[in-house]
Amino acid sequence: MSDTSDHGTLPDDDLLAAEYALGVLGGAERAQAATRIARDDRFAALVVAWEARLAPWAGEIDEVAPPPQIWQAIAGALPAPPRRGMWESLAFWRIFAVASTLAAACLAAFLYLGVGGNIPPLVATIEGGGQRNFVATVDVTRATVAVVPASFSADATRVPELWLIPQGGKPFAVGVLRADRAVVIALPPPLLKIAASGATLAVSLEPPGGSPTGQPTGPVIGAGKLTSL
Amino acid sequence: MDLDANRGLIAVALGRIPAGDRAALQIIYRLTSAKLFGVVLRILGERSEAEDVLQEVFLTVWRKAADYDPGQASPMTWLIAIARNRAIDRLRANRQSRHLAPIELADEVADAGPQADAALEIAQDQARLHGCLDRLAAHERTALRAAFFDGNTYEELAARMSVPLGTMKSWIRRAMIKLKACLEQ
Repeated sequence: MSDTSDHGTLPDDDLLAAEYALGVLGGAERAQAATRIARDDRFAALVVAWEARLAPWAGEIDEVAPPPQIWQAIAGALPAPPRRGMWESLAFWRIFAVASTLAAACLAAFLYLGVGGNIPPLVATIEGGGQRNFVATVDVTRATVAVVPASFSADATRVPELWLIPQGGKPFAVGVLRADRAVVIALPPPLLKIAASGATLAVSLEPPGGSPTGQPTGPVIGAGKLTSL
Repeated sequence: MDLDANRGLIAVALGRIPAGDRAALQIIYRLTSAKLFGVVLRILGERSEAEDVLQEVFLTVWRKAADYDPGQASPMTWLIAIARNRAIDRLRANRQSRHLAPIELADEVADAGPQADAALEIAQDQARLHGCLDRLAAHERTALRAAFFDGNTYEELAARMSVPLGTMKSWIRRAMIKLKACLEQ
């Protein structure tokens, strides 16, 4: 082609990787490329590099909540866990879910703390109604609390709000949480001080934007004591 | 901070899947399913098909988590690639011809530009990609956009933009060459 000279060209493999990643290949050529990805690590790496170049474009696509039964279908299609009995016990899975969520929260805390943070984080599992709803990690060094939804389901009309309750005291509003992702909230010094002295975290359901009164107005769906790791 | 928290959580959860940790898959589902459903729905255009593919996507994540290499791609990039690939595979498997609206260059969608997207840790990469897309010729950008968002083949793009297949191939290839050169600057 006459006008590629000013832009250079790509080796054939890189071009094929680009075409696969973009998705312009027809059925047969696409299937051939997929076979190569499985067998040829160098080619697979070229494809991953193109996927990484293009993926940020997906930021433009709006999120669409899938219907709730999709997760049930996925969970039902996972291979059966190896051992019966314990593995089928709901209580076991609940504990397992909390343990792994907790581990994820702690590890995540380390990821953005760096290992250098010398004050260990405080952790609370916020549970109520037989369910662990959220896992919260207070990063004392950075004065933030990270809250991860565990088994909390969204409510169309109300939002979960986090409260910090000192021993024997009244709740302080910390911030509004999300059912679909982790939220990190800054803790002002007075709240951080309370968090570090044996306080409890609780979550209530409030109107969008949070409680209008500064105190919980809706039902408290869970609470958990902050403990040092 | 939000972005970093999600990125870290997804990476940690992916690492736990090879050991059979279902809760880890559920965490990833909670954090990413709305984004990934948006991606597959955009390509497939039909809800029930998209729901089916979303299940395949997470079952693929479950099976392939051990292959994820954090040194090669961010977790969100890896997940988006799986979602796009499963959706495109489904399109190619359904051999019925789809009704595809013709694209006139004049209707080029105004580039939405980078958006603050809290579910993606790649906001910066997004700004860089948009900067490079803006430097492509309008016809190249339009063709790339239809390929990326609608999952069109070369043939479909050529038909939609009323140009010969060979012309479409050279548009796309030149656009990819320029895009790579620009992103590597």
